[in-house]
Amino acid sequence: MHHKAVEKGREALRYLLLTVIALALLAPLLWMAMTSLRPQEEIFRFATTLSVQSFIPTRLTFSNYAKLLSGDFPRAIANSIFVTASTVTLGVIINALAGFAFAVFRFRGSNLLFGAVVASFMMPFEAIILPLYILARWLNWTNTYQALILPDVANGFVIFLFRQCFLGMPRELFEAARVDGAGWLCIFFRIAMPLSGPTIAAASLLIFVHQWDSFFWPLVVAGTSEYMVIPVAIGRFFSMEGNDWGAIFSAGTVATLIAAVPFLYLQKFYVQTMMSSAIK
Amino acid sequence: MHSTRRTFLKTGLAMAAAPLAFRQPAMASSPLQAAWVGWGDAQVLPVVDTAKAMAAGVDVALETIPVSQYFQSLEVRLAPRSGTPDFFLVDGPLTASYAARGHLLDLTSVIDQSRFAKPAVDQATYHGKLYTAPFGTSSQLLYYNRDLLERSGIEVPSADVEKRWTWEALVEAARKVNDPSKGVWGFSFEQADRPYQLFPLMQSLGAKTVSTDGLQVSGYIDCPESIEAYTFYQRLFQDWKISPAGLYDGPLVQELFGSGNLGFMVGGTYIMDSLTKRYPGVTWGVAPHPYFAGGNPVTPTGSWHIGLNARSNNIDAAQTLLAAVLSEKVMDVWFRVRPNPPVLNRLWDTTKAPFTSEGWKIIRYELDHTAMVRPATPGYAEYEDIFKLALRDIQGGSPVPDVLASAAKKIDAAIAKYRI
Amino acid sequence: MFRASWATVAAFLSLALTCLFVFRVVPVAIAVVGSFYGESLTGEPVFKGLGNFLDLFADQEFRDGVVRTLVFNILVNPIQIGIAFFLAILVLNPTKAAKFFRVALFLPMCISLALASVLWSILLDPSLGLVNGLLSALGADRQLFFRSEGQALWSLILLATWKSVGYWMIFLLAGLVAIPSDIYEAASLDGATGWRAFTKITLPLMKRPLLFVLVADTTANFLFFAPVYLITGGGPNNSTNFLMFQAYRSSFVLVDHGRSLAISTIILLMIGAVAALEFRLFRADPKQG
Repeated sequence: MHHKAVEKGREALRYLLLTVIALALLAPLLWMAMTSLRPQEEIFRFATTLSVQSFIPTRLTFSNYAKLLSGDFPRAIANSIFVTASTVTLGVIINALAGFAFAVFRFRGSNLLFGAVVASFMMPFEAIILPLYILARWLNWTNTYQALILPDVANGFVIFLFRQCFLGMPRELFEAARVDGAGWLCIFFRIAMPLSGPTIAAASLLIFVHQWDSFFWPLVVAGTSEYMVIPVAIGRFFSMEGNDWGAIFSAGTVATLIAAVPFLYLQKFYVQTMMSSAIK
Repeated sequence: MHSTRRTFLKTGLAMAAAPLAFRQPAMASSPLQAAWVGWGDAQVLPVVDTAKAMAAGVDVALETIPVSQYFQSLEVRLAPRSGTPDFFLVDGPLTASYAARGHLLDLTSVIDQSRFAKPAVDQATYHGKLYTAPFGTSSQLLYYNRDLLERSGIEVPSADVEKRWTWEALVEAARKVNDPSKGVWGFSFEQADRPYQLFPLMQSLGAKTVSTDGLQVSGYIDCPESIEAYTFYQRLFQDWKISPAGLYDGPLVQELFGSGNLGFMVGGTYIMDSLTKRYPGVTWGVAPHPYFAGGNPVTPTGSWHIGLNARSNNIDAAQTLLAAVLSEKVMDVWFRVRPNPPVLNRLWDTTKAPFTSEGWKIIRYELDHTAMVRPATPGYAEYEDIFKLALRDIQGGSPVPDVLASAAKKIDAAIAKYRI
Repeated sequence: MFRASWATVAAFLSLALTCLFVFRVVPVAIAVVGSFYGESLTGEPVFKGLGNFLDLFADQEFRDGVVRTLVFNILVNPIQIGIAFFLAILVLNPTKAAKFFRVALFLPMCISLALASVLWSILLDPSLGLVNGLLSALGADRQLFFRSEGQALWSLILLATWKSVGYWMIFLLAGLVAIPSDIYEAASLDGATGWRAFTKITLPLMKRPLLFVLVADTTANFLFFAPVYLITGGGPNNSTNFLMFQAYRSSFVLVDHGRSLAISTIILLMIGAVAALEFRLFRADPKQG
């Protein structure tokens, strides 16, 4: 009985902590969402002194969203989704293959190569934007989708992530398959990948976040209305003479909500593994 | 081992050559690449479309870049020195910087300088040659909240330039309005940390912002008049506390005023428009920009210009487009969509309203009599950034003479490279 | 480790390595080489050898930047990873409630860092900010946050932590989830529960995910840029003048590309050195394969 009470107490504490922390993390986002529902003139009126109106709008309006969706923004949403989904799909496969090789095969120069792969992502992006831009112009890739997608497909840290994951897999699994005459690609797709659910989810998130937020490169290489992605589109709402706060906050809310969707979907990888691990 | 090395080499070469396989074919005839500031379609497309219609036969590929990223993007585009963009907007005072680095085409014989306001032409000139075409200009007004002033028993400043308020008078009035406990502030500059806004303080006391050759700042920005001017500036935040410290965002200052929480604001002419459209609840008025008692009235000025790429492959087309954009018709459209003071002299006479309003009369006067351009130096970008950080430190309370002396040294070091 | 034919290794590596080579390794190499050069006004490269680096080490602003960058990293990395680990343990449950919290905690990652910077600069604004409104309602003094020399760094740490704890939590969760629960059952039979179980079982088994999170977070924090650019501008009084921001300023404001590339190269070396150290510290037990 005592045991159960302690358990319940622990659970209650756990959820209490989580609630407090979750509120702290969500409060700014909630404020942004609530503010996006205010008419333009009222956006800062209740910001200085705290009152109930600071959080709950006195007048609810969807005018900011209506204006947003009637302009170029939907195009930017479509572009962002296409570019990010492509990058994630290609990226997971390509980086997982490389991570597998680094984790499982012994070959000369493997450590050096791995080091170079990870180190190449430790350079500030501003340092390489000029060579990248010159390359993109030479390839005549300015204002194209490939310019937005391909440079971000291979990611040193994703390779690192997969390497860590595959290093943790028992070698016996692979040995047994080899003894059975399986080719390495077959082992990769039939054995290694299915066991890597949470890592695939984490890698997808890594690539997703990296690409979804990408601003400077898309601005420089594909900044026209036709190809612009969400961060570039939001950048247009800022001006020295008056920001379009309604547009900024509503666009921000939309972008945040869309970004949350893949994560909701990837949740199941965690749940499945957790359930199966518990059952064992 | 031998074969692995060969395989390695082969693979390496294949990887290096891979891009060749993916190269897209270049377009046969390339259109004119034009880079514009992304002020929003309503403020860009009417101008560009009208110009394109006038410059029939010129194929224009327009790219708009958000203003907050304009300079960086332009740097990335110009750095390879490939001739694009062919046609681009240039922030007026940066003319010298781009010209010194060989990015701009000499326009002296292409443009009739007499059509434009003299300060703008001065700003567009480097080493005696005209390198950019003036496209816009700007001025500043003193805005006040009528209700707040009345409630504090203050007489509103007159719109008559002969009865211009001194900074001292402004501070006295602002102190009466100031009530931070209720969130009400007495005074704020619109761009509280920007040299554009704050050069006039030192200029009003007679200080020069840079040496004549544009390459030295020590002795100018840290001279006694300048120290006096920026000590006054510091007192606004530290002593009198009538200005909100750390509010560097122009739009937020406008919000403060628009929501009725700011008594006085010195800001751009476009605010007249913003206030009418977005903040109908405020009763506001305008007056001329203040000056120091014992000094001269000075107002900020200058705005965007247009430059043509010196290495462009489309010079003829670019010049045709330029002529179209600078025509009276297009400049009129430009004024309609973005009511900043026209830089084309004729437009003042042909366009009737709204130049009859109080605000516009003041603006016309300032442009003709008190406007002083920003320092003419190829190192303006460096100057502006370093001075901006110095101003922030001054606002925060650091000792003014030290901050200015240190900034002067840094600026001189940064602009030394333009010494030919 | 297995031996495999060159063809097999190439098949696995070639796609990723080609992309990395073309879009990363070569540009980085160009940038590093570029750090030994300067540029004339008209764009011609001028060989300077170690000139850029020597100038940097002689510059007080750079030296202060090194210190400040290190201070920021020494503070922010343990805070972020510690909290993320704690959160991962809290949400390690297949229940629906835990799922809700996982999403809630991850949500700050769904907003871009630039937008988060704008949002927080408004929330923490000395005059217009809601946080100060809350403080004065509670009777406390209004704070300057990003505009205060003493508080700016901590405000940035707050922003960075708020944004990414949910993100790093995911990676650590992936690692925690992979630990079979029967290990804990076996250990509790031996009397090892609670804190002992954590230090003796969980931590060693989390070495690999922790190493990844540590190196990735270190890199992200050394390259921390958007909030400094958008909010503090390196100030007040250089208190947030990190090397990354100095590299940006050198290139895009001071038009000194050689200096910018030199700073970037130094950043690269610093991250590499710290990462190498982290690899050493977290070297996984070879027995665990």
